[in-house]
Amino acid sequence: MSAGNRISGRSGDRPLRLALPKGRNQVAARQAFAAAGYPLNVLDDDQRKLMLSAEEEGFELLLLKDWDIPLYVQYGIADFGIVGSDVLEEVDGDLLVPVRLVEGRCRLSFIGTAGSLPKPGAQVRLATKFPNTARSVLAERPWGAEVVKLHGSIELGPILGLSDLALDIVQTGRTLKDNDLVELEVVREVAPCLVLNRGSWHHRRDTLNEILERLEEAEVVR
Amino acid sequence: MKVSAALPPGVSALFFSAARQRRRLEAELTAGLESAGYSEVIVPILDYFEPYEALLSQEGRQELYRFIDRDGQQVALRGDFTPMLARLLAPQLPSLELPLRLFYRGDVVRYAEDRPGRQRESYQLGAELLGVADGEGEEEILRRCLDLLVAARVPGARVVLGVAGALDTLLEQAAPEVPERDELAAAVARRERDVARRAAPQLFEVVRDGKPADPEILGLRVAAEVERLEALCRSIDREYPSIDVAIDLAEFARLSLAPDLAEAMRRRSYYDGLLFRAYSDSGALPLGSGGRYDRLFSSLGAELPAVGFSLSLDRVEAAAAQGGEG
Repeated sequence: MSAGNRISGRSGDRPLRLALPKGRNQVAARQAFAAAGYPLNVLDDDQRKLMLSAEEEGFELLLLKDWDIPLYVQYGIADFGIVGSDVLEEVDGDLLVPVRLVEGRCRLSFIGTAGSLPKPGAQVRLATKFPNTARSVLAERPWGAEVVKLHGSIELGPILGLSDLALDIVQTGRTLKDNDLVELEVVREVAPCLVLNRGSWHHRRDTLNEILERLEEAEVVR
Repeated sequence: MKVSAALPPGVSALFFSAARQRRRLEAELTAGLESAGYSEVIVPILDYFEPYEALLSQEGRQELYRFIDRDGQQVALRGDFTPMLARLLAPQLPSLELPLRLFYRGDVVRYAEDRPGRQRESYQLGAELLGVADGEGEEEILRRCLDLLVAARVPGARVVLGVAGALDTLLEQAAPEVPERDELAAAVARRERDVARRAAPQLFEVVRDGKPADPEILGLRVAAEVERLEALCRSIDREYPSIDVAIDLAEFARLSLAPDLAEAMRRRSYYDGLLFRAYSDSGALPLGSGGRYDRLFSSLGAELPAVGFSLSLDRVEAAAAQGGEG
């Protein structure tokens, strides 16, 4: 790859680079930025593009998978991004988390069939996309679990007997209801977070503070 | 038989032009330190673990690569130059002429999860100044660090300054109980605006601006330090026009001087005065860091003013390469 084609990580000579998720958090992120005066209309143009120039707002947008956003921000390729606290906790990077979006919140919960929350001393099998988080949550429980990492359709684990229960995100609870599962225990609230790296913060603090203040004034973050 | 060239996570090899480039950079930087009166020291990569045990936090112990040698002694790979230098120099101090100006280079090896930006092996170049008290020693060592950033042609270098324990008073007022104070300090370090605002308006100012509007809220000692650092920033602005320097106390919110809080944070630090970290305009992670660490020598039974810094040459090189492309 020639230097000319390479995406530069240098922040001094380019617009602020914002990493946005492609999934459910993009809707919440877009609503929040629009309320703060950054409509990001360029997102309507062509969703197949991975990099967009939001000239009106002075941003470059990177459209990424949730799980990749902490990496792009941590390595300084993006200055800031929106990522769920579930992913953030699992990846455990050294990122700054100045605000969390009000919209798009959901829950990280133990799910399974009714009454299947393990009794003290029990050893069970737990399916999850979040094995690091699961281990830290389990450290505070009176029961133990073998953690099985799955990449999707976590609910199938307890339904088909791959696992006794699952640790997963619950939004409306409809998928659980449709599959005869219940939310056994809410572990914590999950929120889309605005994250930024230390280097970008120190180099562009005034601009980033202005964006954060506009988001706060619009009451779309806290 | 095919032999794999794979390396463990977090380590790397430099071949040919990359190795030449590294050695050239080293030669340039060490020549600068030598011309400023600093002498090189070479220390081993393998050492006994026992002398460091009391100096390390739980987190620090977990990061060290240590094992039982064939003679039954517990040994560790070098995870930090400064405590090793302090341990080796402390018994010699009565026979040494102060001040001592020294520099070192080599690998430090620390376990890190396979996560973004985490290296297990890092090649460092650092310098220590021993026996020069107060601001004079701190300013000299900071200037040596800035000289190296200029010599390495790091684009858009920015150095943030702080004071160890600067936020202890504010944190204690906002959260008298240690576990809550630990959580609050972590939130301030992550710049969590809402948490800081609810805890104290001055903590919010620290998160947003790097320091409170009225530094006296931090106590007279810290306020005087902040005033001195502000004067230092102004003089560095004049002397090093290519480098930005600013005070940012939130950056170091978790480096407490309160023993109970430091223990709760599992981040016992040997720094006890000036703190600084250097960034380039291309990297999210610091190129290096430094500060005052008198209490490291005190814990070894020697009273000696000590300041130092180290740079990660891997990150310095990567930052300089971005500058070359720009």
